[in-house]
Amino acid sequence: MKLKTTMLFLLSLLTIASAHAQDAPYTVVDGYKVDGNTMKGFRAWRAAACDRCHGANQEGMVGPSLLASLKLLTKEEFVKTVRDGRLEKGMQSFSASPQVMDNMDYLYAYLKGRSDGAITRAKVEEIK
Amino acid sequence: MRNSGQSTRHLLRHLGLLALAVPVLAFANADVEKNIANSKNWAMQAGDMFNQRYTQLKQINTGNVGKMQVAWTFSTGVLRGHEGSPLVIDGKMYLHSPFPNKVFAIDLDSQKILWKYEPKQDPAVIPQMCCDTVNRGLAYAEGKVFLQQADSNLIALDAKTGKLIWTVKNGDPKLGAVNTNAPHVFKDKVITGISGGEWGVRGFLAAYDINTGKPVWKGYSVGPDAEMLIDPEKTMTWTDGKMAPVGKDSSLKTWKGDQWKTGGGTTWGWFSYDKATNSVYYGTGNPSTWNPSQRPGDNKWSMTIFSRDVDTGKANWVYQMTPFDEWDFDGINEMILADIDVKGKPTKALVHFDRNGFGYTLDRTTGALLVAEKFDPVVNWATHIDMKTGRPATVAKFSTARNGPDVNTKGICPAALGSKDQQPASFDPNTKLFYVPTNHVCMDYEPFKVEFVAGQPFVGATLSMFPAPGSHGGLGNYITWDAGTGKIVQSKPEKFSVWSGSLNTAGGLSCYGTLEGYLKCVDAKDIKKELFRFKTPSGIIGNVFSYEHKGKQYIGVFSGIGGWAGIGMAAGLEKDTDGLGAVGGYRELNQYTELGGSLTVFALPN
Repeated sequence: MKLKTTMLFLLSLLTIASAHAQDAPYTVVDGYKVDGNTMKGFRAWRAAACDRCHGANQEGMVGPSLLASLKLLTKEEFVKTVRDGRLEKGMQSFSASPQVMDNMDYLYAYLKGRSDGAITRAKVEEIK
Repeated sequence: MRNSGQSTRHLLRHLGLLALAVPVLAFANADVEKNIANSKNWAMQAGDMFNQRYTQLKQINTGNVGKMQVAWTFSTGVLRGHEGSPLVIDGKMYLHSPFPNKVFAIDLDSQKILWKYEPKQDPAVIPQMCCDTVNRGLAYAEGKVFLQQADSNLIALDAKTGKLIWTVKNGDPKLGAVNTNAPHVFKDKVITGISGGEWGVRGFLAAYDINTGKPVWKGYSVGPDAEMLIDPEKTMTWTDGKMAPVGKDSSLKTWKGDQWKTGGGTTWGWFSYDKATNSVYYGTGNPSTWNPSQRPGDNKWSMTIFSRDVDTGKANWVYQMTPFDEWDFDGINEMILADIDVKGKPTKALVHFDRNGFGYTLDRTTGALLVAEKFDPVVNWATHIDMKTGRPATVAKFSTARNGPDVNTKGICPAALGSKDQQPASFDPNTKLFYVPTNHVCMDYEPFKVEFVAGQPFVGATLSMFPAPGSHGGLGNYITWDAGTGKIVQSKPEKFSVWSGSLNTAGGLSCYGTLEGYLKCVDAKDIKKELFRFKTPSGIIGNVFSYEHKGKQYIGVFSGIGGWAGIGMAAGLEKDTDGLGAVGGYRELNQYTELGGSLTVFALPN
């Protein structure tokens, strides 16, 4: 019983670790070289002018710090917030922005990488 | 004067419908003029139609201002940036707030709220005003208070009751056409502009009838001649050292294809009016987008000083300050009208401190360019203005178009918020000098390609800003300027940008607010001599004003940090990796102030 529990515990730990590795939606080298999809996410961030409220480094301005928010929001919550906005708080709806809607997963990947501390600066480049 | 104005209104009320049909030009003007002439009032946002920001009151003076105390305070109950100032007319104060744009009427005898009006506005406009929901104040004429709401609705309220008289829609907020500017009443019209340069909104100035809200004219900043109310033969501009007609399609020729349709040139600043020329003067904003490579051409008439006939809107003359903008040097700052000596010659001048860092003096009657000099020595994007062509001599290494998209052009001075932004300067008729609240900030600017989507942001550049290198380390200066020669007379360093409109007084004072929250009064003859300072509840981005009530002079100012200056700059910075130091300067603002809108009113002790 005890062994089984330990095994299960270890197994589950392994699962989490590998799931985590698989789940990291971005690939980053040297803190700023990213995969093509994450690069698309950065471009969407820029095109949508998110920096006007959230700051050029996602540290927050009139809008909250995304470095902090992406630690709290689930991906579903993130998508809902970007799509529908939080109008009263000053967050617009991006549902009419193809640049954002078509790149939602990549935008999330880029910001998650920033929030995780894996992407160490706002401006990224594509891995060559 | 006063009686005749009242009986006129009385008569018109009896005439009822007929009143709508009969133009009341002279009387409307007379009412505002009468209110301005009585220096106990603060009857317009700038105190007068010339945008001079000067009061005749002199009870508070250089000798006693040090004893000035807080007389009363008032919270607006709104947290965001508080620009503009209240108005005072005949013992009543009219206050505005940022979104939701509350309006209060206050009885100055009791400081009691007589009425309060809060418009219902779709919260969807809040994000479209990103990054702050400021409003620059009210206008008053003929018993009506005019509010330009954020959602673009322009409204008239009954000054006695706060009841809504009329509403007119000035733009489509769903497309980013929102408003932050104060409406201005000149003659029988209320003049307003539009915001949304970062949403590809095509700018215009519009005039509405003060009695009915009916549109009278609308002149676009860019596009076909007819829509700009430009007459190719009669509208003049500075050409080869003299004034000449602008010619056919003067705007269309300077845009690629139909890019002018999303071309910007918005109009969210302060407007002035001269009865002698019957003209309204104002500036147009940046062309959209901030990525210059995407919109080749001079992008006329963005970044332009306009003179328009107030009755017809027809453009008398135009002068483009920054053709083909590459830095967001949005040209909306106020035009101050003053009769001064320019290069030794008495001149009906128009003086303008542009975001691009040049102080311009023009002949306001003809539009001729007289003086154009830097009002901050660190300005480096252009070496000078060619006085023959009127064009800036730009510096290649600071050209964000030449360096191209996805290249970070570094060390451009000034930053996009300009050597001066909307914070209005004052003119002192005693010293004949201009008192200018300035920014001392430089930037790195990286443009990138953007697609236009109606109702979505259309920006196209990433910026980072920092204090001017090689200077005093602060982010601002308070300066005096001789507009006749184009020279800085004195410059008082400030830790942060001076984002508050200044006031000069017949008592020899010049007063302004700071982002830390101090109201400061200095000697107008020597601005380095600080005579008074008081820490208000929050950072000041509002404009100083003065009025008299029951024999006492009051000086007041809104505090309430916000806008681009405050929170905007405090966090939008690169890490301290660029070797320029002092980047922490902005963050330090957090050590001085928090959000919170209130009015603080000062007077001498009894």
